[in-house]
Amino acid sequence: MSVSVLPARRPARWRLGSRQTNEAILGLVLVAPLMLWLASCILYPLVSAVNLSFQDVGIIGTGGSFVGLDNYAFILKSGGFWAALGRSVIWTVANGALQTVAAFVAALILKQHFRGQSIARVWVIVSWIVPTVVVAIIWRWILGTSGGIVNYLLLTLGVIPSPIGFFGTSNTAFASTILINSWRWFPFMTVIVLAGMQSIPEEFYEAASVDGASSWQKFANVTLPGLQPVLFVMGLIGTLWSVNVFDTIFLMTGGGPASASTTLPVFIYVTAFKGYQLSRAAAASVIVGLILVAFVLAFLRWMPSPTDEEAYR
Amino acid sequence: MSKRLFVFTLLIVLAAVTLVGCGGAQPTAAPAAPPPAAAPQATQPAPAASAPVKLTLWHMEQPDHRVKRFQELIDKFNAANPGIVVSQEVQNWNDIYTKAPAAVAAGNAPDLLFTTPDFTLLLQPLGAVQPVDDLVTEMDQAHHFYPAVITPFKYSGHVWAVPIWNMTHSLWYRKSVFKAAGIDKIETWDEWQAAAKKLTAEKQYGMGLPANKQMYTDQVVYDFMINSGAEEIYNKDGSVRFDNPKTVAALDAYSKLYQYSPPDSPSWTWGEAEACFDAKTCAMVLQFTVISTYDAAGGDPADLGVMAIPHAADVTQSGTMGAPNAVMVMTKDDAKKQAAYKFLRFILEPDNYGSLLTAEPALFLPLTEDGAKSTTFWNDPMTVKYRGQVEGMIGVSQNGKMYGFTSTNIFPSIAKISGENMFAQALQKVVIDKQTPAAAATWGQQLMMQTVEQ
Repeated sequence: MSVSVLPARRPARWRLGSRQTNEAILGLVLVAPLMLWLASCILYPLVSAVNLSFQDVGIIGTGGSFVGLDNYAFILKSGGFWAALGRSVIWTVANGALQTVAAFVAALILKQHFRGQSIARVWVIVSWIVPTVVVAIIWRWILGTSGGIVNYLLLTLGVIPSPIGFFGTSNTAFASTILINSWRWFPFMTVIVLAGMQSIPEEFYEAASVDGASSWQKFANVTLPGLQPVLFVMGLIGTLWSVNVFDTIFLMTGGGPASASTTLPVFIYVTAFKGYQLSRAAAASVIVGLILVAFVLAFLRWMPSPTDEEAYR
Repeated sequence: MSKRLFVFTLLIVLAAVTLVGCGGAQPTAAPAAPPPAAAPQATQPAPAASAPVKLTLWHMEQPDHRVKRFQELIDKFNAANPGIVVSQEVQNWNDIYTKAPAAVAAGNAPDLLFTTPDFTLLLQPLGAVQPVDDLVTEMDQAHHFYPAVITPFKYSGHVWAVPIWNMTHSLWYRKSVFKAAGIDKIETWDEWQAAAKKLTAEKQYGMGLPANKQMYTDQVVYDFMINSGAEEIYNKDGSVRFDNPKTVAALDAYSKLYQYSPPDSPSWTWGEAEACFDAKTCAMVLQFTVISTYDAAGGDPADLGVMAIPHAADVTQSGTMGAPNAVMVMTKDDAKKQAAYKFLRFILEPDNYGSLLTAEPALFLPLTEDGAKSTTFWNDPMTVKYRGQVEGMIGVSQNGKMYGFTSTNIFPSIAKISGENMFAQALQKVVIDKQTPAAAATWGQQLMMQTVEQ
């Protein structure tokens, strides 16, 4: 039915000089720079990376020849890749859990009315504003064994007999980096969650109070469902961001000690620029990209979306 | 699925793909590199006679006082040579291994680039480095390079860089701390371990040793290998000989001393070791120098001790990791190349050379005989103040060796062995993963052999 209608309407809508046509052209003109930017900055490197992954380029600046799927086979057989994938999963889950809990706690506190609320709302975001390199330097000082404040306090209070090398052992280095990254990123989630909370009508809470709901029941039955659209987006985008974090890890530990904090982005960097295996790193990048696309599709398939009316009931 | 839901889903997938692209994309393939130039080539027309020749110099000496001293010398050269304008651009050692090949691929390489032996070996096969045999021969006749300093830059039938200064490790300590502990001198590893144990106290670690997967750790591991007699890492046929009893002994000695190091030393680079010594948290460190920071902290010159690195009982003479720095000429433009030669001749004139070396007092050591006598070097206030230590460092530097460049047989895989910090990785197997030194040496050998085969 619609097929028979469209040809009759199109000439009217797209007549040269008509208002609709002019608006459409203006829209295209306005969006064109962004599309060109996306094509040049993202699409081109993506295509280049795929192309590179089928060659045998080692050092940047050298040529390569076509090797088919050899690089993919090498990466998939590499113990280093699977170990890095495992660490990336731990990294993502731990960061997601820590940041979500911290963001909810902070947002719930900041939602309350108290003196200095405005200052607190600005102050909480400071750690997110600070450049990563500064964060890395600050935390290396704080956790250092030579004059680091944490070791000093623990020693002074008699909690530990000797300084802890937070970046000195495999477990403490990775855990410390996760904590620092969560500290850096939870303010961003706090702001998003707080904005979501403020969009929930106050009447819902008043109605719940009339029904005799406890604080927990209000949180579980009003706040959480009301935040569902926000959590959906944050769950998806936050996971992708988290998997791709490179700067914090590389600046804090360089992927060490003994590769203990080498997640996938660090593995790819080290393969490309320390091991001079650019094509293999490109193959690893493509595999990681495919894993993340699979995650996105699974997330969309299995997680309740904001448009799912069931979620609002 | 409703139309709205479909559009929403599509947008989310596009956003996700975009994010994936942001995180995963790697630099693009570059065109094949030209073969190494065998002789100076003029691939671009020379600039008009009236236009000054502009030279860009990249170096990795970031501290302000070094940049300032470089600029003083550059200004002096530019003033004396109106037809040439040299400008410096400061890089850093962590990035340069990736940045320089990318710059070469993009056609944005500098005209002059500071280098080390392994870094030269990385760039030379890209066809980006010009041979400088003629200039090095001329400078050798004029200033007399020390015998071993040209060798690391000489292969494939040419010399690829002009040696500029040397940097070697020494063992740094405080004489008063040694005296209080009743330590006189340390020559062997057994004495070293006993001293470290004796010096370890409540607020002091006996020895500061790094265990980071980083160049500093590579260098210190190699200090131990040299002093164990394991300085050769290649056989004559290019195969790796890392897995041998002397390397095992070196890793074993390292791990025995490492127990007296601060617990955060797996994240150390040079700066942290120096800071540990300055804070008196470390009684001993292996470093190029600690003089600048020691002096800035108000240290007493008479109390600062420097000695050669102790050695295994079956080795008769101490050795040290020596990192000769040099300058590569990258430009293929003949006029620029002649200007670059003029600049390097200027730099190696003893007075200018002394000024250059004291860009970081008591760190950069002379590589030419007349440079070692330069009045500007010895009259520098810091050199005067720490003359005894500087003389000690120069003495130690006579036995400096660089991994992969100990013989005339130089193999390209050393660039990857160095770039991937394989010595440091092998050490981490011992001090972090708690493997035996023998197992770590075998593991390191396999890692290096894979690189050689590639």
